[in-house]
Amino acid sequence: MKDSKLMDMKSDYQNIPIPAELKERITRSVETAKEELAAASPKASGAFSNKRGAAFKGEPAAFRNKPAAGRVFSIRKLALRTAGAAAAVLLFITAAANSSETIAYAMDRIPVLNAIARVVTFREYSHNQNNMEATVKVPAVSIEREDGTPLEEPTRQLNQSIEEYTSQIIAAFEADVAASGEEGRESLNLDYTIVTDNDRLFTLRFDQTIVMAGSMHAINIYNLDKTTGTLIQLKDLFVEGSDYVTAISDSIKEQMAAQMQADENIQYFYQTDMPDSNFDKIESEEDFYISEDGILTLVFDKYQVAPGYMGSVEFRIPTEAIADIVKEGYVK
Amino acid sequence: MHTTIAQQVEELIFDSYESMYRMAYSYVRNEDDAMDIVQESAYKAIKGASAVSQPDYLKTWLFRIVIHTSIDFIRKHKQEVSCQELAEPAAWDSYTDFDTIEALDVLNERERAVIVLHFFEDRTLAEVAKILDLNVNTAKTTLYRSLKKLKVQLTEGEPAYEGF
Repeated sequence: MKDSKLMDMKSDYQNIPIPAELKERITRSVETAKEELAAASPKASGAFSNKRGAAFKGEPAAFRNKPAAGRVFSIRKLALRTAGAAAAVLLFITAAANSSETIAYAMDRIPVLNAIARVVTFREYSHNQNNMEATVKVPAVSIEREDGTPLEEPTRQLNQSIEEYTSQIIAAFEADVAASGEEGRESLNLDYTIVTDNDRLFTLRFDQTIVMAGSMHAINIYNLDKTTGTLIQLKDLFVEGSDYVTAISDSIKEQMAAQMQADENIQYFYQTDMPDSNFDKIESEEDFYISEDGILTLVFDKYQVAPGYMGSVEFRIPTEAIADIVKEGYVK
Repeated sequence: MHTTIAQQVEELIFDSYESMYRMAYSYVRNEDDAMDIVQESAYKAIKGASAVSQPDYLKTWLFRIVIHTSIDFIRKHKQEVSCQELAEPAAWDSYTDFDTIEALDVLNERERAVIVLHFFEDRTLAEVAKILDLNVNTAKTTLYRSLKKLKVQLTEGEPAYEGF
């Protein structure tokens, strides 16, 4: 199972012994801080501008005075090991940031009727050198009214969001290339598909896969409500204040249980012997689309609710399960 | 009786100092350094308490201080270290050897914080995001990325299996 190593780590973590004198030392710190606050002397504000700070006055200063050989050695090791990876990863992290949220606010309440969205591949980024490969397709979307007049603001905002999202992914890859020199092995692929395009919704889905020693697959979906010209979030499908999180989560858990029951090769992080990592409920915003046949479909990244071998997974939520709370016009 | 924010912070420190210590220890893996970090964090928290506008987030805020103090500590010492010779191994005995925790070294500072908070300190992803000032999606992505990296590290020398 996925987490046995992690559980070992957790138990080691929880077994980190707490030194007997810790509480005493914290008490002294707290007292020092309180005294300084009470005195409110000007010098208190600069207490931490010197390296170790006033809290440690009168401490045995154990490591300050001794050569501290062992400590230094260990930290050096840490520095060496992390340096390469850190550079590569920091940039990556922002790549999947979902910027559609701000757009949804910005584009809120622009009345548009029956907009038409067109998508073309605007540019393609590719890189193929040594063992570092990347293909990133960047689409441009244009949204128009039925009569062909462009809807400039929604178009600009959606494209800007796509541009930011894809640029971050490319930048992260390039950082990996820079960090790994000729040694690196990585394959990045970003492609998009139009999942749904009907009278009500236009849904553009991005699939990002990265293969390194393992692989990851992250999905980013934009849903455009064509009757309003706004990008919508999961919550926008439901009556305000309704508990759609529970309704959807219950349906997913039911499906997980049924699928695992029916096929032993199917595994989810649900009802496992590790309660900590079990799927409990969806976040209030998850990636979703409404399929062409009108079924709300939730999409999870690889590793999110199932072990890696399951890949990214999708759950179709039966319309009966949400019929009471879903707004008119989205699902069938 | 009216409790001030500073009093609430003080209480919180004494309620959670063990978690604060383990968190710091996972960064520096050394008793003395981890204690220094917790002390410094406690000091900063009391001194900065009056700036907290949302008491609901005190705990989040306190952990943030610990993480930042730990990271600052490591950065300062990296620089210190670069001008020193390798030390004699005799001093190793001041380190408790937790192999599994050492495996966290493949992670960068943010990834480490996400793993420790979410899996070891049992914080929800939403809380983790708040502590680290990330949006939930970014925290999630960081988590998967970290898990992936950890698997690579942890399963070294064992037969690889599909998916990781």
